[in-house]
Amino acid sequence: MTANTDKPSWGKQGTWQQALSYVGKVVGISKGADKADASSVRRWLEPKEFYSPLFVDDDVAQKAGYDAKIVPSAMAMTLGQPAHWQAGDKRFEIGDEPIQIPIPVIFEVPAPFSLSFATSMEMEFFKPIYHGDEITITHELLSITEKQLKVGKGAFFKQKDTYTNQHDDIVAVGMLDIFRFNPASEEA
Amino acid sequence: MSASTTIDWSTSKTLTDVSIGDLLPAIDIDITLQRLVMEAAANRDLSLIHHDKSVAQATGAPDAYANTFFLYGMIERLVRQWGGVNIFIRKIGPLRMNSFNCVGDSLSFNGKVKDINVDEKTVTLSTWVANADKVSVTADVKVIFAS
Repeated sequence: MTANTDKPSWGKQGTWQQALSYVGKVVGISKGADKADASSVRRWLEPKEFYSPLFVDDDVAQKAGYDAKIVPSAMAMTLGQPAHWQAGDKRFEIGDEPIQIPIPVIFEVPAPFSLSFATSMEMEFFKPIYHGDEITITHELLSITEKQLKVGKGAFFKQKDTYTNQHDDIVAVGMLDIFRFNPASEEA
Repeated sequence: MSASTTIDWSTSKTLTDVSIGDLLPAIDIDITLQRLVMEAAANRDLSLIHHDKSVAQATGAPDAYANTFFLYGMIERLVRQWGGVNIFIRKIGPLRMNSFNCVGDSLSFNGKVKDINVDEKTVTLSTWVANADKVSVTADVKVIFAS
């Protein structure tokens, strides 16, 4: 959000031509802050009221064909998130930009739009993620497509995310569609 | 806590148990601000649109709304509670968000068997989220059965 204004906005600002110059390129690499562990899995499951013995019981997981207890597949996205603060970083102050997850097609690719939201996502899973695994996400901008929606005029930014573990095995590949736009209320 | 959290995990579905058109047991869940805050803290997506009403409204939403990670996780819950421990989730998506799932909304996660490939031991499910009179989210899910 931009400081000192009543109108929320986020995302890297720039020209349409600048945005197009990023198509087909790696626009970010996100290294997960921590290894998958029981505590992070539990806290991830709680708000969904979700339980499976596969996530907590090695014996059950091994009988089901896994090497050991696993992590929820959809937790790959969370495990690829970097630290939100680390020693040496500045302190947060009123008016600072809010912390955001790294969606590089919003925050690293300059474009002439002030708001955004996700409209579609696809995840393919290739290998299980185990407790102790470390996840890194490589983000690419595949395409930009102009579009007028009810909320305003903007463009769809398609981001490909490749998830790898500490052995450089690809555990998942995601496709994310982000709509970046200027709100209709601010259009002429 | 909802009754749907008591699942018998000692039995697991096999491919022969599955027929096209089978309905998955639905999961009802209410969106409260506390749930969204717990979700944001756990899944690391701290975007204000998911816990700040005024910022969410600036994007055209009525209130703070559930994020993609939550929807993915709930669909995984729906599928794992149906299939048991002997399935591998191969693909979720494309997941399409047709409308917002906001604080105060009561959601119902639903699913139906769409296709079965015996040779590949795979089942494709259609899943959707009912929110009042709308279908707010749809997603196909492909699972591989161990047997």
